Amino acid sequence: MSVLVFRTTLPRFEYLRPKSLGEALELKAKYGGDAMILAGGTDLLVDIRMRAKKPKYVIDIKGVKELSELKYVEGRGLEIGSAVTLSEIERSKVVKEKFHVLWDAVRQLADFPLRTRATLAGNIANASPASDSAPALLVLGAEVELSSTRGTRKLPIKKFFKWVKQTYMEPDEMITRIFVPEPPRDSKGMYLKFTRISVEDLSVVGIAGLAANPKEPEKRIVRLAYASVAPTPVLVEEVEEIFKHDKPVKELIREAVEAVKKKTSPITDVRGTAEYRRHLIEFGTAYLLNRLLEVIE
Amino acid sequence: MSPYKYVGKPIPRADVDKVFGDAIFSFDVTLPGMLYAKLVGATQAHAKIKHIDYSKALQVPGVVAVFTGAEFPQKIGIYAADRDVLAREKVLYYGHPIAAVVAESLEAAENAAELIEVEYEPLPAVFDVKDALKPDAPILHERLAEYKHASFIYPEPGTNIATRVKLRKGDVEEGFAKADVIVEDTYREPLVSQAYLENWVGVARVKSDGTVEIWSSHQSPFAVRELLAASLGLPIGKVIVYHLYTGGGFGGKAGILLEHIPVLLSMKLGGRPVRLELNREENFHYMAQRAGYIFEMKTAATKDGKLIAHQGRYLLDAGAYADYTVNVARSVTFMAFGPYEIPNIHIDTCAVYTNKVPTTAFRGFGLMELFFASEQQIDQLAEKLGMDPVEFRLKNALIPGKSITPTQRRLREDAGAPADTIRRTAELIGWDKPLEKPKEPWKRRGRGIAAFWKGPVQPSSAAASAVVKLNEDGSVDLLVGTGEMGQGTVSALRQIVAEELGIEPEKVRVSPIRSTNLVPYTWQTVGSRGLYSDGQALMRALEDLKSQIRKVAAQIFKVFEDEIEIKDGKAYVKGKPWDSVTLAEIALGYMFPDGETIHGPLIGRGSHVPVQTTFLDPETGAGEPKPFITFGAGAVEVEVDLLNMQVKVIRAATVYDTPVINPGLAYGQVYGGLVMGMGLALTEQLVFDDHGRLLNPNLTDYKVFRAGDIPKEIKAEFLGVGQRNAPYGAKGIGELTMLAWPAAIINAIYDAIGVRVKETPATPDKLLKEIREQKPELLEEVRKQLLG
Ligand SMILES: Cc1cc2nc3c(=O)[nH]c(=O)nc-3n(C[C@H](O)[C@H](O)[C@H](O)COP(=O)(O)OP(=O)(O)OC[C@H]3O[C@@H](n4cnc5c(N)ncnc54)[C@H](O)[C@@H]3O)c2cc1C
Repeated sequence: MSVLVFRTTLPRFEYLRPKSLGEALELKAKYGGDAMILAGGTDLLVDIRMRAKKPKYVIDIKGVKELSELKYVEGRGLEIGSAVTLSEIERSKVVKEKFHVLWDAVRQLADFPLRTRATLAGNIANASPASDSAPALLVLGAEVELSSTRGTRKLPIKKFFKWVKQTYMEPDEMITRIFVPEPPRDSKGMYLKFTRISVEDLSVVGIAGLAANPKEPEKRIVRLAYASVAPTPVLVEEVEEIFKHDKPVKELIREAVEAVKKKTSPITDVRGTAEYRRHLIEFGTAYLLNRLLEVIE
Repeated sequence: MSPYKYVGKPIPRADVDKVFGDAIFSFDVTLPGMLYAKLVGATQAHAKIKHIDYSKALQVPGVVAVFTGAEFPQKIGIYAADRDVLAREKVLYYGHPIAAVVAESLEAAENAAELIEVEYEPLPAVFDVKDALKPDAPILHERLAEYKHASFIYPEPGTNIATRVKLRKGDVEEGFAKADVIVEDTYREPLVSQAYLENWVGVARVKSDGTVEIWSSHQSPFAVRELLAASLGLPIGKVIVYHLYTGGGFGGKAGILLEHIPVLLSMKLGGRPVRLELNREENFHYMAQRAGYIFEMKTAATKDGKLIAHQGRYLLDAGAYADYTVNVARSVTFMAFGPYEIPNIHIDTCAVYTNKVPTTAFRGFGLMELFFASEQQIDQLAEKLGMDPVEFRLKNALIPGKSITPTQRRLREDAGAPADTIRRTAELIGWDKPLEKPKEPWKRRGRGIAAFWKGPVQPSSAAASAVVKLNEDGSVDLLVGTGEMGQGTVSALRQIVAEELGIEPEKVRVSPIRSTNLVPYTWQTVGSRGLYSDGQALMRALEDLKSQIRKVAAQIFKVFEDEIEIKDGKAYVKGKPWDSVTLAEIALGYMFPDGETIHGPLIGRGSHVPVQTTFLDPETGAGEPKPFITFGAGAVEVEVDLLNMQVKVIRAATVYDTPVINPGLAYGQVYGGLVMGMGLALTEQLVFDDHGRLLNPNLTDYKVFRAGDIPKEIKAEFLGVGQRNAPYGAKGIGELTMLAWPAAIINAIYDAIGVRVKETPATPDKLLKEIREQKPELLEEVRKQLLG
């Protein structure tokens, strides 16, 4: 285009509000990629106004009861319906206690009013490299349940993201639930979010960490995953292996930082320079590991 | 404690209707038969417009018309009429409005807008001020010589210089020759946005008798009226500007905004109402932002700690249109430096056109930006002299009744208390106390201070007036032309009425709708002048009303007028309070028991014009530009986190010399000013790519601090040193509350880690870069702590 037009109005689309999951899946089967799911709408409506997305049909799932449940089963883990809001997750005691890294990420995502609408599934489905919940779900080994009229499948979250704003979901599929397995016993989790202002900002870099049995090398589990350092959220799988070795902690931390540097490719944008992001990757990772491994308070 | 009943007390604001959702903003205005306008921006930073094809746009159902710059030859502006209605012949920046679509609905207008095709012939663009000054630089305004401008603006046709301003005091060469220490440095600040909450909106119509009416989001209804009339060639008497609540302005809504666009469109369309509303992205592109700055400074002192000479070359990056920025250039020149006496000063300032968004006023009118540079000069000089920065400031602070300002005038005796504000600020922040050591070894604390001074930059004729009408129930209607954009001036004015008449503030009403045909004139609501100027007019209006009250009461009680006292909503004979009459009883005059009536309705009127301010000498700047100056200082304690490079303001202290009418409102300004100043110091900037495209025209990436960023500890004091002719001595503070912060914060960062950041904002990535250049060992220490 040879002119700039900043739109205020939304384009026309058909708004559909199914009452059941079956109905929602039928609609998705019928319209495929022409239809987009609206959960909280906090990404979708922004994208539609900016004409980054142009759905013919918008399927609002907030009225679907089957998708509105947040459930915990001892030994199996969490089941989070795709219409569950971030506020509901934030308020859940069991999430805070047992899935602390997820809770920590969710409570830092956007701000209070936004979290009362936004969903976890929407944050994942949107597939932004800056997704704050994705690193937490990656270190927890979450699985995404995808459903269509053809059936249901489960995809490990690390196999879910394809590229910036692209996933391995098929056009007729939608996320119905997110499963988060029981984390290792006595594990600790933390999400470090680096932002430009203290509340309501997208992460310049986000780091999720999970650690169990820090003092016993063979039983030690350490996982790290990142936001805003690569085209997709990334789990640095090498880290877990590194920490199985019986070496002085600081040496392991140095090795882990090196592994992370290799697996990340930060860029310069308005939120920060690549140089600054590399600094955060190094110092942030080191800090997080020191905390999780109880080297420092 | 305040000796008054209402003045000096934190009485709730007059505009609580905002809280209840009753308030009406320009955005709420819709008129029957109204059309919607949509602006279309250019996708080139500098280019000839070869052809605009809008034939497809006209086909869209609901579209009424499309206009381009060719149809509007008018030039718009207050100090330099350099603005086109829509780009004519050339586009001057990426996003420059190039066409306007008018349709029955906004949706139709937007759909049509996208179908417009423009053929450009790209021209070399210039984005950097220094490049724009080079002899072979591309010229933005070839017809600069033809533009109308105020007499005190000096554009240089054939160049990109929108104005050049000079200040000469004493002999700087002589000063530097006597100097023991000299600091020479350059400071930079980027273009930023006023980032007010309410995007601009305007609804206009032309009535059958030719009267133009406009409802719009602005600071100063009378300035809009004057400039609309002047630039469109209309008689003032045919223009009515409605001022409703304005959702923030911060200088960005001073003067005339885009009012001329809906007005002209309505004129073209038989007077049908036309509404132009901007969304956030449009507001960043189509409304003027704040200029960028480069300050080159050379400042000298003698070893006994006295400032002796200052030389400056100040450059303002004015963007594509410099309409208001040309006057900001005067502001930074005539204040020259901080609130200190310097015998020898030499400053050359230029406002320079570049191919970026247009610029205008911003809270502080350039002085926060100036002090960002000068208060770092002060700290650097103090360090070289081995003196404490507070002591150094105190040694040089201006002395009322004695010191000579940069514009060669002696400060009036009751000008204020510069030194006291610095001293008290230092005490409040605990300047001499040891700093707390954070438990994390990568966090460092430091303190910084900055002093400031400011008065309004206005023509020597900037008038104000007020009317007070007494109602039959003893309540009062106050008529003023002051804009209300959240700053609360009308609340303070209301309090003055209450105090003077002894009635409850609730009984004083200021209509939230003020139109230029109904309220008395005031020049503008800018420059922290509202309370001072409109307040003086109000004091006179109240005196007028009171003399009428005394006159009526004197007749009733058969005494001389000077024997009547007005208190608690009553007039009575001194010493005989039982001989009294209520204001309600005499509001429409007084009827004696036999039916005989005297005087008729009571209505007071008052005027104000600044006294003893003058034009300034074009070669030296000598003259008196300011009717008052408020003095103050601000200090912070910051914590620099070397892990994430973030700077946190732990506590802030700030002191102003002036008394205040409403401490609640004043503290509100202090908090707001602090958060805004922090933002400008640490995060806010407009970011452009190599093609001049604005990369962050939204609040997702134009980062404004929020409530959660407000420091936990803020101490503020007002010393109550008033200026005699000001209402209750009160001078302006609205802008003042922001002026210290960028300088104080940067000085505190230096105190904490020994790294000086000479460019705002001190974002984490910039701080990292500076640390790597100036003190890499800091990073090594942290790396050792974390990585062994
Ligand atoms: C002011 C603001 C601040 C923000 N801050 C943050 C932040 O700090 N961190 C962060 O990570 N994000 C942030 N976001 C982005 C956004 O809020 C989150 O990504 C949020 O979790 C999205 O959830 P939603 O329910 O609103 O998604 P929606 O907008 O409803 O959907 C997002 C996308 O996912 C698709 N989708 C939604 N649900 C499903 C489903 N069940 N199956 C298949 N596809 C689906 C939609 O079609 C759409 O493409 C912010 C957004 C705003 C406006």
